[in-house]
Amino acid sequence: MGTAVFDLHALAPELILTGVAILILVYDLFIGDERKWTLPIVAAGGILAAGIPLVTLGLSDTTRSLFGGAYVVDGFALVLKGIFLGASFVVLLMSAQYVEEGDYHRGEFYFLLLSAVLGMLVISSARDMISLFVAIELVSSPTYLLAGWRKRDLKSNEAALKYFLLGVVSIAISLYGMSILFGVTGGALKFTEIASWMSAVPSGSAMGVAAMSIVLILVGFAFKIAAVPFHLWAPDTYEGAPLPVTAFLSVASKTAGFVGLFTLVYLAFPAQSQVWRPVIFGLAIATMTVGNLIAIKQTNLVRMLAYSSIAQAGYVLVPFAATTREGSLTAETFASSVTYLLIYTVMNLGAFAVIIAVARRTRSVEITSWSGLSKYAPGLAVLMTFFLLSLAGIPPTAGMWAKIFVFRSVISAGGLANGALAAVMGINSVIAAFYYLAVVKKMFFDPAPEEDLEAIPVPASLAGAIGIMAGITFVLFVIPDVAVRLGYGASLV
Amino acid sequence: MRVGRWFAKGDGLPSYFSQYITVALIGLAAIGMVGFMLGAGRIIRPSNPSADKSLTYECGVDPIDGNWAQTNIRYYLFALLFVVFDVEAVFVYPWATMMRSLGKSGLVEMIVFIGILAMALLYAWKKGILAWD
Repeated sequence: MGTAVFDLHALAPELILTGVAILILVYDLFIGDERKWTLPIVAAGGILAAGIPLVTLGLSDTTRSLFGGAYVVDGFALVLKGIFLGASFVVLLMSAQYVEEGDYHRGEFYFLLLSAVLGMLVISSARDMISLFVAIELVSSPTYLLAGWRKRDLKSNEAALKYFLLGVVSIAISLYGMSILFGVTGGALKFTEIASWMSAVPSGSAMGVAAMSIVLILVGFAFKIAAVPFHLWAPDTYEGAPLPVTAFLSVASKTAGFVGLFTLVYLAFPAQSQVWRPVIFGLAIATMTVGNLIAIKQTNLVRMLAYSSIAQAGYVLVPFAATTREGSLTAETFASSVTYLLIYTVMNLGAFAVIIAVARRTRSVEITSWSGLSKYAPGLAVLMTFFLLSLAGIPPTAGMWAKIFVFRSVISAGGLANGALAAVMGINSVIAAFYYLAVVKKMFFDPAPEEDLEAIPVPASLAGAIGIMAGITFVLFVIPDVAVRLGYGASLV
Repeated sequence: MRVGRWFAKGDGLPSYFSQYITVALIGLAAIGMVGFMLGAGRIIRPSNPSADKSLTYECGVDPIDGNWAQTNIRYYLFALLFVVFDVEAVFVYPWATMMRSLGKSGLVEMIVFIGILAMALLYAWKKGILAWD
């Protein structure tokens, strides 16, 4: 780029989103209540506009490195940014009606949402400890506020407070680890520097300290992705937060935590896989098993999906933990994690969109209030079944391929430990199918509680969100190559 | 880390065990330290509880009323606004000393930064926080 300080093209998505976020904040100040409905349109326009440079960057097909390698726009960054922008666009569709019906600050909702999305774009490109930290804070801070957005609702306050306190503690633990690593490596911040230091120093006291810092950093990110035993905030926060925010947290915010994990273990710590692999191995098994077992007992649909999303995070962790015979990291394991994340994002958002639509009528997310749904809302019941089948990994849905890819990547790595991992995952898929299908049974075979069989009106934006997600879930079942190719395109290995 | 090295050289243990010894030792040290401080305090200190000691302020003016003291919420809002200018000062000061060497791009960046902060002030103003009544 010659003399230019930075590559404006590479930063265009972030710059556009920043501009639109500020625009919304100011625009909201100067318009009356009668024109507030334009806010989500501006926000959606901003997200779509930020997607345009993403496409042109993808077509130009060059890796762009900015700020001395601290900020990189490569295949991984582009694919993940695409997932984030798509997911937040759908969350916008889901929230437009919801936000309009609650008499709370609307402009701020969209401003905070876009700020969090901006953080997600930054985290996809962050390649040094400082940008990673700033980005994860940029994701977290607005979501703390969003979780407490219904400020007159005690549950929402509880959600925000728990999320805030545990989030702050977890990032503090990560920061502690980062500071130790900074000291022991003699001031390395960039992932490439850390990686070369780690492969050069074989063992001894410095490596022991580095091992500790790796564990501490991973703990912070395990909180973000709600891996067991760092999951305790998730169910309460998901239950109390406004439903669109819950959907946002369970996919986008979780994926942001995974992005941090991807870049850290594959770019900064690849030489020390014997340190972090046992940790992630344990996390994956605990997360899958505990998440699924507790989900069985839930009577509240959102809490059930909260535990299910914990378990799903466990499946994404599985390829990380797969040990290949040479101990190296393969593109296949990486791609299967990204593919799983992509498909999980789609199907989970779809499930939440249906919940929002039904909760407008039932005013409750207790599973019992869903009984007999197929009698008065057959369309929504069928779609919910479709998303639940996908989450369980049953055809004809994309969720099946997601599970198969993860399975295959673990099994093809070979070995006893990987076999055990695959077995645990298989057992968990069966457990998960039980509680997903229990909801399906409620919807189709139980009588409606009050014989009030009026159809549920679904706002156009919400119907659009459900339709898009259902469409993608089905299309990815028919042609899974798309998701796989995106996964391989994102590979950092 | 002497112990770690001993394990790494010794009887063919996988090397990550030796590295985890550091993690375990630090964990034990953290637990031990808290346990020691609380435990030692419990053993050493005399225990004579009395009603006076559980007052909020043991000496000085006797506390009156309950512990539920309310302050005007506006002070909180002004404290938040103060942060805006605080952050500005933190960044503008070092920039001012380096202004010449940073040149044009430094100036542009500072204008953008102050512009974003001004947005906070505009926000507060439009929301009616600046008016005291």
